[in-house]
Amino acid sequence: MFTSLFKALTNLFKKPQTIDYPVTPIEKDKDYRGLIEYGEESCIYCMKCEKACPPGAILFVKTDTPSENEKNKKGLKYNYNPYLCIYCGECVRACPKPEEALWQSNKKPEVAVRGDNVNSDWFELEKLHKS
Amino acid sequence: MKKTINIPLGSQHISLLEPVRFKFECENEKIVGVDSDVGFVHRGVEKACTTRFKYDAVGYVVARVCGLCAITHSLSYTVAIEQLLDVEVSKKAKYLRVLLLELDRIHSHMLCLSHTCESAGFEAMFMRIMGDRELIMEIQELLTGNRIQFDYISIGGVNRDISLETAKKIVNSLDIVKQKVLGYIDEFTNNWSLSLKFKGIGALTLDEAYRFNAIGPLARASGLHIDVRNEIEYLPYKELGFKMQTHTDGDINARNIIRLNEILNSLEMCNNILAGVPEGEIVVKSKGKPSGESLVRFEAPRGELMYFVKGNATAMLDRVRIKTPTFSSIPAFSHIFMGENYADAPAILASFDPCLSCTAK
Repeated sequence: MFTSLFKALTNLFKKPQTIDYPVTPIEKDKDYRGLIEYGEESCIYCMKCEKACPPGAILFVKTDTPSENEKNKKGLKYNYNPYLCIYCGECVRACPKPEEALWQSNKKPEVAVRGDNVNSDWFELEKLHKS
Repeated sequence: MKKTINIPLGSQHISLLEPVRFKFECENEKIVGVDSDVGFVHRGVEKACTTRFKYDAVGYVVARVCGLCAITHSLSYTVAIEQLLDVEVSKKAKYLRVLLLELDRIHSHMLCLSHTCESAGFEAMFMRIMGDRELIMEIQELLTGNRIQFDYISIGGVNRDISLETAKKIVNSLDIVKQKVLGYIDEFTNNWSLSLKFKGIGALTLDEAYRFNAIGPLARASGLHIDVRNEIEYLPYKELGFKMQTHTDGDINARNIIRLNEILNSLEMCNNILAGVPEGEIVVKSKGKPSGESLVRFEAPRGELMYFVKGNATAMLDRVRIKTPTFSSIPAFSHIFMGENYADAPAILASFDPCLSCTAK
C-alpha cells in the first residue's frame, strides 16, 4: 500500500506523457509521407503518374492557357487533389524524373472548408478529363 | 411461461470498439443462448477490388480493410499476385516484410491487452499500455512514413529501404518496449483484477477448440498447436527464431498470457532481423498480367487470414476473396458465451480481440 501511495504522490509531480499540442508543434520526421510536389519545368508529360495513382488524385486536363514547356504538346495542365491522395508515393516511383518533376514532401495538406469547393471543383475536372 | 429474457449487447455499447451485436438469451444471470450479427460496417471492398481498381492498386485498397492488420492484408494480397506473376522477391524484402508484420502484431496485441484492462475496470493500466504502444507506432512511422496506413508493401518487394541509423533507433526503442512488456507479465500474473478475476472465465477446452475451428491466440490459449507462421515456407520464420506459444487453460487469463508471450517472441524476431538485414534490392520489377488462381494464408494478429485471387490476364481481377480471422472464430465465440454470467460478457468479448471492420469488409 505504501508503494502505491508513494507512486501516486510522485505521479502528481511528473510531467505528462502527452505534449501541449497547439503550442508545442509535433516533431516531424523528414521521411514522413506528405504532400506530393510537382516541378513543371522538368515534367515531360508522360502521364505515368496519372496511370499509377491508385485513387486517381492526379489528373492532366486540357487548358486554354498551357505552360510554355515544349514537351507539353497537347496543352495539358497538372491537377493534384491533396484530399483524395493517400500519400502512397506510387506516382513518384512511376515518374521517370523523380526529385525534379515529382517528389514527396513531409508537409501536411491545409484544412479545407466548405467554401473552398474542394469536391465540386474536382468533380468538374474529372468530367473534363473523361470527355 | 417463458423463463428467459433477451438482452442485447450492441450494436452500440460502451464496451465495444466496433459495431457488433450479440443477442443473449439469459436465465437469471446465466447466458443460455447467443445470436450474433457482424455486418454493420460493410463497405464492399471485395466488389471494389474487381470493378474499380486495377490489380496493381488493389494492394492499397485491401490495406484499408482494417487499420490494425493493414500490413497482413496488403502482404497476403501481394504474395497472391506475386505467385500469379512468378516474381521472386529478394531476401532483404522478405526480412523487411517480416519486420513490419511482427511490429504490427506487437501493437495489435498491446491494443487488445489494454482493452482487456479497461473492461476489468483498470483504467490506469489501459493508459499505460496505450502510452507504451506509441513507441511501436513511432517505429512504424520511422520505417514507413505513416503511423497507421503503412502502404509499405508493393508487388515485387517493399517501398522503402531501412537505414543503419533507423535500425539503431528501432533497436533502442524495442529494448524499452521489452522491459515494459516484462512488467506487464508481472502485472497480468500477480495483480488481482487482471489475473485471479479472469481465471476460469470464458474458458474454451482443447476439444471445443478443435470442434469449433478456433484459430489464432484463442486456439493457442486452449493448447491447440496452430499457427500459420509454423506452416508456411514463404517467409523465413524458422531461421528468425519463431516459437509457438501455447497455454492449457483456455480462459481469459490464458489468452492474455499468450498475447504477452507472443509480443516477447515478436520482439526477439524483430531484433534478429535488425541484427542482420541481408544485402540486396528491395524491389524486383514485375511483368505481365495476373492469370490463374492463387490462395495465400498468413497469420494476422488475430489468427489465420486467407486470400483467394483469380485473374484473367487483364488488368482487372475476376475475384478477390478475403476470409478474415474473426469471421472464422464466430462459432467458437458464440460457444464460449454459453453458461457464463451476463456481467462477464464485455470482458470475454474484449479478450477475443474481435476485428469487425475486417469481418464485414
